Amino acid sequence: MIALTTPYLWYTTRATGMVALILFTLVVSLGTLVANRVGGTVVGRFEVNELHRSISIVAMVFLVLHITTTVVDSYAPTGWLSAIIPFASKYRTVGVAIGAVAFDLILAVWISSLLKVRVKNESWRLIHWFSWLAFSSAILHAYLTGTDTKDGVGLAVVAACALCVFVTALWRYLARPARAAGRTALSPLAAAKGLATPRATQSGHASASSPSAFPRSPDARAKSRHASPDTPSSFPHSPAPRRSKRYR
Amino acid sequence: MGVRRRTGGFYLRVNPILCDGFGHCHELAPELVNMDEWGYPIIEKEPTPLSELAALESARYAVRGCPRQALRIERVSEA
Repeated sequence: MIALTTPYLWYTTRATGMVALILFTLVVSLGTLVANRVGGTVVGRFEVNELHRSISIVAMVFLVLHITTTVVDSYAPTGWLSAIIPFASKYRTVGVAIGAVAFDLILAVWISSLLKVRVKNESWRLIHWFSWLAFSSAILHAYLTGTDTKDGVGLAVVAACALCVFVTALWRYLARPARAAGRTALSPLAAAKGLATPRATQSGHASASSPSAFPRSPDARAKSRHASPDTPSSFPHSPAPRRSKRYR
Repeated sequence: MGVRRRTGGFYLRVNPILCDGFGHCHELAPELVNMDEWGYPIIEKEPTPLSELAALESARYAVRGCPRQALRIERVSEA
């Protein structure tokens, strides 16, 4: 077993643990934003989702660093098994055990998301619910095991992360949309590609295609609404009128 | 790998049971997916030719970005 005695490993453990906690707070909060259909006006909803996915990869890197430096360092007598198996560590047994539980749950969520195409969507969602439990365990682990989290800035950071995710969970519970929560108004890619309207409307309704995809100014919007009085929605690139032959 | 002939087309298909109206597909593939009033996708009925590479790429992004895995791409050989 490699046992290194430099103190910088221990400092790296503490620092990466803190950074991983902050990053996972971001990941959980952004995932909740996706689930609650945030976005669609200023940022796209898919952009929130992409941020959620990207930050989760960075968070996993920091988590692996945190675990590796803890195990490799000779200061705290933990073993490789204690990263996965609870109560396998001689050092701060309960705190490291809770951390191991959190890591196992995060691994489950992560692997099921990597295999998302292969996993049934219901199963993926069920596994993804466990991220709440994983985060709670991570907070407990940070408070119980952390060297820096007993007072001062460290405690403030942990408390802020816990509060952030608690508020997020409350909001997820109170404002959960079970189904569609209105349409997204924004398609930044359409503007980038210079598309006036989706082809679905263009092929059926030549009149529906307007030269400017997103009239931002109110008078331009009013003009486009005036141009097609039979569209029920106030969005400038509204879908085909409902009386069309195809959608009847 | 040999030359892949880009004849034929593809459909972007949605499973309406899985779909929860997140709207990501409309943002990712605006040339293929329109939205109805409630935020559910209305997808082009005719197959899109595979020669439209940008549309195919958008469709792949939409399939990857769907939070409910409700989209899939179906290829058809007939052009």
